[in-house]
Amino acid sequence: MSVRVKLPPALQELGGGVETLEVSGRTVAECLEELEARLPGIKEVLLDRQGKLLRAFGIYLNENVLRPIELDTTVRDGDEIVILNFLMGG
Amino acid sequence: MSSYNGKLIRLNLTTGKSQVEEIPRQWLKDFLGGRGLGVKYLYEELKPGVEPLSAENKVIMMMGPLGATTAMSVSRMALATKSPLTGAVSKSIMGGSFGAFLKFAGYDGIIVEGESAKPVYLHIDKEGIHLLDAADLWGLDTQQTHQRLREKHGKSTQVACIGPAGEKLVRYSVLISDLRVGGRTGVGTVLGAKKIKAFAVNSSGPLSLHDADGFKKLTKEIIEGLKTSPGRIKMSDFGTSYLTLSLEKDGIFPIKNFQEGHLEGVEKIGDEALASIKIKNDGCYGCMTKCGQVRKVTGGTYDGAVSEGPDYETIWSLGGNLANTDIGALIAADSLCDKLGLDTVSAGNSIGFAYELYQRGIITREDTDGLELNWGDPAPMMTLIQKISDREGLGKLLGEGTKRAAAQIGKGAEDYAMQVKGLELPGYEPRAVKGYGLIFATSNVGAHHMYGRPRAELAGKKDKLTEVDKGKDAADAEILQATQDTVIQCAFSPVTGFNAQQRSELLVMATGFKEFADPAYLDKVGERTLCLERCFNVREGFDRKDDTLPKRMRTEPLKDAGPATGQTFKNLDGLLDEYYDVLGYTRQGIPSEAKLKELGLDSVVADMKKFSK
Repeated sequence: MSVRVKLPPALQELGGGVETLEVSGRTVAECLEELEARLPGIKEVLLDRQGKLLRAFGIYLNENVLRPIELDTTVRDGDEIVILNFLMGG
Repeated sequence: MSSYNGKLIRLNLTTGKSQVEEIPRQWLKDFLGGRGLGVKYLYEELKPGVEPLSAENKVIMMMGPLGATTAMSVSRMALATKSPLTGAVSKSIMGGSFGAFLKFAGYDGIIVEGESAKPVYLHIDKEGIHLLDAADLWGLDTQQTHQRLREKHGKSTQVACIGPAGEKLVRYSVLISDLRVGGRTGVGTVLGAKKIKAFAVNSSGPLSLHDADGFKKLTKEIIEGLKTSPGRIKMSDFGTSYLTLSLEKDGIFPIKNFQEGHLEGVEKIGDEALASIKIKNDGCYGCMTKCGQVRKVTGGTYDGAVSEGPDYETIWSLGGNLANTDIGALIAADSLCDKLGLDTVSAGNSIGFAYELYQRGIITREDTDGLELNWGDPAPMMTLIQKISDREGLGKLLGEGTKRAAAQIGKGAEDYAMQVKGLELPGYEPRAVKGYGLIFATSNVGAHHMYGRPRAELAGKKDKLTEVDKGKDAADAEILQATQDTVIQCAFSPVTGFNAQQRSELLVMATGFKEFADPAYLDKVGERTLCLERCFNVREGFDRKDDTLPKRMRTEPLKDAGPATGQTFKNLDGLLDEYYDVLGYTRQGIPSEAKLKELGLDSVVADMKKFSK
């Protein structure tokens, strides 16, 4: 089970500039656990104190950018997860 | 054919007469519209030293060249005056539909000057421009005023009005059009002093365009792209409320009048809590995003309260700043401010100032008319909002703004007034995002969240806590904002509107002005606007000494603020040098002769020489 993850620029620094990486997992949350192991600190950025995804970020599956997916969304082999950052002030 | 009408209404309230005049074509090219033309008229027409609440002050209401077209996020109106809070230039941008219909009526703006002896309102329709008696409107809240004017002139009448706070000269009163607000820095107060209650217009489109077919084709393409823009959908779903939890986690969401950076229970006023009581979207003319979130309280003390918002700033000012996590009180307070015509940022900040003075014993129950100002208790906030508008008791003092109120209170109260140049700080902790601190310090209108945003720092692309190499970022952010404010495009238009290249193409197709094809030309318009605002201030006696931050930011380590805990702002002087150097200002913060000439502001050189040492 391999899922490709595309990171926004702000998170790429955690991995020394890496833009995409391959992880495994059956859900977004499981993929995030592996991401955390490889890019320590990513959960701290993406999740609130209750462990929910902060709305200043959005996780999208494949090319469906109309609606973000949640942490419990199931992913499949070959899927691509895109993480977007909407922190711009206002 | 052009989207510019090329005309404005000059309304003299002293004589009761109005006239229509041409806007100089060269001014349109040099300043584009909105905020650019606003400061141009102010600089040319206001003598230095004018008292902001006197008949000599003016209010410039100006649209941009794309307003009332089918382009997204552009039908906004810029308001400029000499601020009664700061004594400096002001800028504010109001959404809604009033401006678009003013353009349909054939005018790009209104200059309000003089002072009426009795309350009046301006009505514009195809029969002409009419200055009418407003005795029956005076005293009404903003919603009642909209309703009364629509009863008189028809349901489709577009309205912008002040509330009771503006009538009573609370120094941070606003202008409101339906559910949209404009007027940080007290534009509503100046209109109140002039005794003009409202502006109403009946008109219909469409507008003439230089290349209507090309414009239609490009806007259609842009709209197709926006339909699947995640950022636009996010704004539509949540407005700016989605910022709160992330910024609080990073210590950027100030708590208890900037004493600390963590709020227990902040999720009670977070995005999901607010989304759960949303009843509909609302927005500006022609915008498909409609980022305004209309929310309604069900049950509890504030049952039935409805407001458009609160946006991030108001979630902070009437929520986190007072340690208030009561969502019902937050909605009710936001609604009350809108009805009274108060700027929620300055109102909440001023109330937070009072809470801290009470905490420290600088004021007591004797000074608060018996109110106990305890953090987290929203009931006194509701009472104080009303008292501020009524100019009653402690409210009268707080309605002067924190700088003046602190001076009157004494006893060291000025240390707890969170303001720059007299304008209350918005909801970003300068010690936790240093680039914003620099922008607040250098902003010509005082500490304003919409004078430029340090996007790289907020997005995590640049370290928020370092205090070097940020002068250029701040200057670039302020120029970008100024350019957007001349167009006038929404601050969120990078995700709700169009990119810089598309902007240039739209401007050429709308106006026929070939110069606008070059995005760099438009950047220069923004820089020229920013520079002329600074020149206005220099002429009023402002310089480097005024580009500062509250003492708390510079001396007091920030408490309980996640990664920003322990931070102070140590190198403001160094950052100011960087900022001035980038913009071609002297180390006094005054535009140099060379820069003025580069920007085509030769006529200002002699004025600035008087102040350069």
